[in-house]
Amino acid sequence: MGGKKGLLFDVTLCIGCGACYEACKERNRLPRTVAHFLDDQLSDRTYTVVKKRGGRFIRQLCMHCEVPTCVSVCPVGALEKTATGPVIYHEARCIGCRYCMLACPFDIPKYEWGKVLPRVRKCDLCADRLAAGRPTACAEVCPTGATKFGDRQALIEEARARIRARPQKYVPRIYGLEEVGGTSVLLLSDVPFERLGYRTDLLSEPLPLLTWQVLQKIPDFVVVGSVLLGGIWWITNRRREVQIREREERKRRGASEEVSRDPSASGFVGPSQEEE
Amino acid sequence: MRWSFRRPSFWQLVFIVILGAGLYSTVIRFTRGLGASTALSDAFPWGLWIGFDVLCGVALAAGGFTLSAVVYIFNIERFRPIIRPTILTAFLGYVLVIVALLFDLGRPYRIWHPLVMWNPHSVMFEVAWCVMLYTTVLALEFSPMVFERLRLERPLRILHALTVPLVILGVILSTLHQSSLGSLYLIVPEKLHPLWYSPLLPVFFFISAIALGCAMTIFESFLSYRAFRKRLEIDLLADLGKVTVVALAVYLVLRVQDLARRDVLARALEPTYEGRMFLAETLMGVIGPILLLSIRRIRMDHFGLFVSAVLVVLGFIMNRLNVSITGMEASSGVSYFPSWTELSVTLMIVALGFAFFGLAVKYLPVFPEMERLPAPTLVEPPAVAVLRRPWIGTTPLVLILGGIFFVSAMGSAYSGLQYRERMFAPATSGEESEPEIAEGLERFEVPPDITFPQGEASPGPVTFRHASHLNWERPNCTVCHHEPFRILKASGRGAPSPARDLHDERHCGRCHDGRTSFSVKEDCTACHRP
Ligand code: SF4
Ligand code: SF4
Ligand code: SF4
Repeated sequence: MGGKKGLLFDVTLCIGCGACYEACKERNRLPRTVAHFLDDQLSDRTYTVVKKRGGRFIRQLCMHCEVPTCVSVCPVGALEKTATGPVIYHEARCIGCRYCMLACPFDIPKYEWGKVLPRVRKCDLCADRLAAGRPTACAEVCPTGATKFGDRQALIEEARARIRARPQKYVPRIYGLEEVGGTSVLLLSDVPFERLGYRTDLLSEPLPLLTWQVLQKIPDFVVVGSVLLGGIWWITNRRREVQIREREERKRRGASEEVSRDPSASGFVGPSQEEE
Repeated sequence: MRWSFRRPSFWQLVFIVILGAGLYSTVIRFTRGLGASTALSDAFPWGLWIGFDVLCGVALAAGGFTLSAVVYIFNIERFRPIIRPTILTAFLGYVLVIVALLFDLGRPYRIWHPLVMWNPHSVMFEVAWCVMLYTTVLALEFSPMVFERLRLERPLRILHALTVPLVILGVILSTLHQSSLGSLYLIVPEKLHPLWYSPLLPVFFFISAIALGCAMTIFESFLSYRAFRKRLEIDLLADLGKVTVVALAVYLVLRVQDLARRDVLARALEPTYEGRMFLAETLMGVIGPILLLSIRRIRMDHFGLFVSAVLVVLGFIMNRLNVSITGMEASSGVSYFPSWTELSVTLMIVALGFAFFGLAVKYLPVFPEMERLPAPTLVEPPAVAVLRRPWIGTTPLVLILGGIFFVSAMGSAYSGLQYRERMFAPATSGEESEPEIAEGLERFEVPPDITFPQGEASPGPVTFRHASHLNWERPNCTVCHHEPFRILKASGRGAPSPARDLHDERHCGRCHDGRTSFSVKEDCTACHRP
C-alpha cells in the first residue's frame, strides 16, 4: 500500500472482448446503453469504452491526471485527487457549472442531461475497491492483462521493461508519463498514438498552471491596484480642492462677494457641479 | 417623465410575446432539465447562456466601472451627468447575469456554494466571487437613486462618504472580473481555435470591455434620448467615442501582434468558417469603428456616432460568441446552435433588462440634472429625425442580433458537418481490416471452469467451461456477461446453490433453448456428466 495506484493499458494485448466494459457497468450498476459494446461512447451511463481504432482495440476512460485539470477548475472543489490516485467526485458540492467538462483535456466528465437535478459522471478508478486493497473492476476481469492494475511507479518500470524487451515493436513512448503533467492511466502501443485517436498535441506541463499563473497575481493586483487608484484619487481630489479654494479666493478678492452655493450633498451627484 | 414610444401598443405586444415565450421555456427548463431544454451536450457543455448572457452581459456593464473611475477617481467632472444611467445598466447587467446563471447551472439552488466551498485555483471560483461582490457594490452605488426618491437623508450621507472606497473596490473587482472571463478559457489551449486562444485572453477581454463600456454608454444615451426625450450630451459622447478609438486601437495592435507572434495570422485569411468569423468580428467591431470614429465629422454627428457604437457592441458580442462557441466547435466535433428555449430565455432576459431600465428611468432620479432642464427644444438635424423614427433604435439591434445568430447558425451547421468527418474518420491504413489481436490471444487466460454441485434429481454434476462457450477468433465477453451473468468475482459468496434450477431462461436455458443452441430439454448427458 501507500504509493499511488494506476492502470497500464497495453494496446497490443487488447483483444476487444469487452470484459472491462461489462465489469465497469456491473460495478457501477449502470444500465445497458447499446446493442453492441463497440458502438457505445462515454456518457453518464458508460464510464469506459472499447473502440476499434487504427487497426487496434483501444480503451477510453478517465486518465486520473496527476495534476487534474478538472479538479483545478471546479469552483467548489467537487472533484478531488486522492492520495492513492483516483480523481473522485463529491456530488453534494457540485453546482453544475460544467466547467470540468469544458476543461478536461481528455473530454471525460459527462453530464446527466436527462435529469432535472443532474450530476457529473465519470470513472473513479474504483476508489472503493482500491481502498479495500482490490484492483479496479476492469483490471480484475481483463483476460489478457491488457489492462493491468498496480502501483503507478511499478507500472512505469514495467512499461519501460516491455519497451526495452521489444524495441522494434513498441512505440518508444509511455503515454501518460508526461501528458498534461502525467496521468495515473498509462498507455503502451505499437502504432503511433495519434492513429489510435489519443490526443498527442497536449502540453507536457499540467494545464492548471496556465490559469494559476494568472490567478496567483490577484492578491498583489488588488493591493497595488487599490493603492494606485487611491493615490490617483487623492492627487486629483487635492488638485480640485485647491482649484476650488483658489477660485473662491479670487471671488472674494473680486468685487462681487457672491457666496458659492453649498455643494449639494446628494449621493452620487456629488459636489462641484458648478465647475467650469 | 413619460414613456413616449411612438407605438406603445406594438412594443408592448412584442414584449409580452417575448415574455410569454421566455416563461414557457423557463417552465420547460426547470421541469424537464437541461437536456430537454437546450442544445447542449457532453461534447458542447457551454452554449448561449454562458457565451451571450454571461460573457456579454457582464461586459455590457463595463460602462459602469469605466465611467465611475473617470468621474470619481480621475475627477473628470464633465462626465458626471451620464454616470447614473451607466451604473444603472451595470447593476441591471449583473442582476441579469445572475438570473442567466440560475438557468444555466445544473443545480441552481446551490449557487451559493462557492461562498463556503472554496477552490482558489479555479477561475470560476474567482468569477463567482467577483459577480457577487461587484453586484453588491453596484447595488450600493445604485441605491442613492432609490434613497433620493424616498428622501432618506441618513443612508444617503453614509453612502456619500463611502463613494470613493466603493468606486475603487468596484474598479478593482470589475477589472478582475472582465479579465477573468477571458482567463476561463486559458485552460483549454488545445480546444479553443488558435485565432482566439491566447495567453493574453484576460488582457484582451479587459481592453475590449473598456471599449465596449464606452460604446454601450453612447448607445444607451441615444436610446434614452429617443425613448425618454433626454437631452443628448453629444460633446461628452463624442469624447467617449475618442476613448473607444484608443481602446480599440490598443486592442487591435495587441491582438495582431499576438497572432503574429504565435504564427497564426495567416489563418485569419484562410477560407474557413473560423477565418471568416474572425474577419467579420475584427472588421465590423474593431477596424470599422476605429475608422469611423477617428473622423471628427462622423464622431460629432448623431447618426455616425450611434452607428459606430452599435458596430462596436455587435463586434464585441460576436467576439464573445466566437470565443465561446465558434472557436470551440472544431475540437468538440459537433456543431452547436442554441435551441429555441435557450434563445427565448435569452431574449426574455434582454427584454427584462430594457423594461427595468425603462421603469427605473420613470420612477427614479436616473437623469437628475435633466429634470431641471426644460423639455428639449433643440432643432434637430435630419439625422436625428431619422433616429427618432420608431424603426431605428431597438429594432435594428434586434434585427442585427438576429442576423448574427442566423449567420453563425448557417456557418456552424456547415462547419459542423465538415468537422464530424474530420474527427471521427481518422485516415488510417488498418482501419477497415479487423484489429490485430494475435498477441492478445496468446496471452488470453480463459477464466476457470465452474463445477455446479449436483442437485437431488440430477443425473450428474455440470461443469461449465468458458473455453467451450467462446468464439476463439474473436472472444466477446459481453455476449453472456450482462445481467444475470455477473462478470465480477462474487466477493465471498461461494459457488452457486444446488437448490436453484439452472435450466430456466435466466441461466443455461437462456441460450440452450433449442434455437441458439441445443435445448436443456434434449440429451441430459450433454452437460450432466456422471
Ligand atoms: S482525465 Fe479529465 S476527468 Fe480525468 S482526471 Fe484528468 S482532467 Fe479529470
Ligand atoms: S460541474 Fe460540478 S464538478 Fe464540474 S466544475 Fe462545476 S461544480 Fe465542479
Ligand atoms: S477503474 Fe472502475 S470505474 Fe474506471 S473504467 Fe475501470 S471499472 Fe470502470
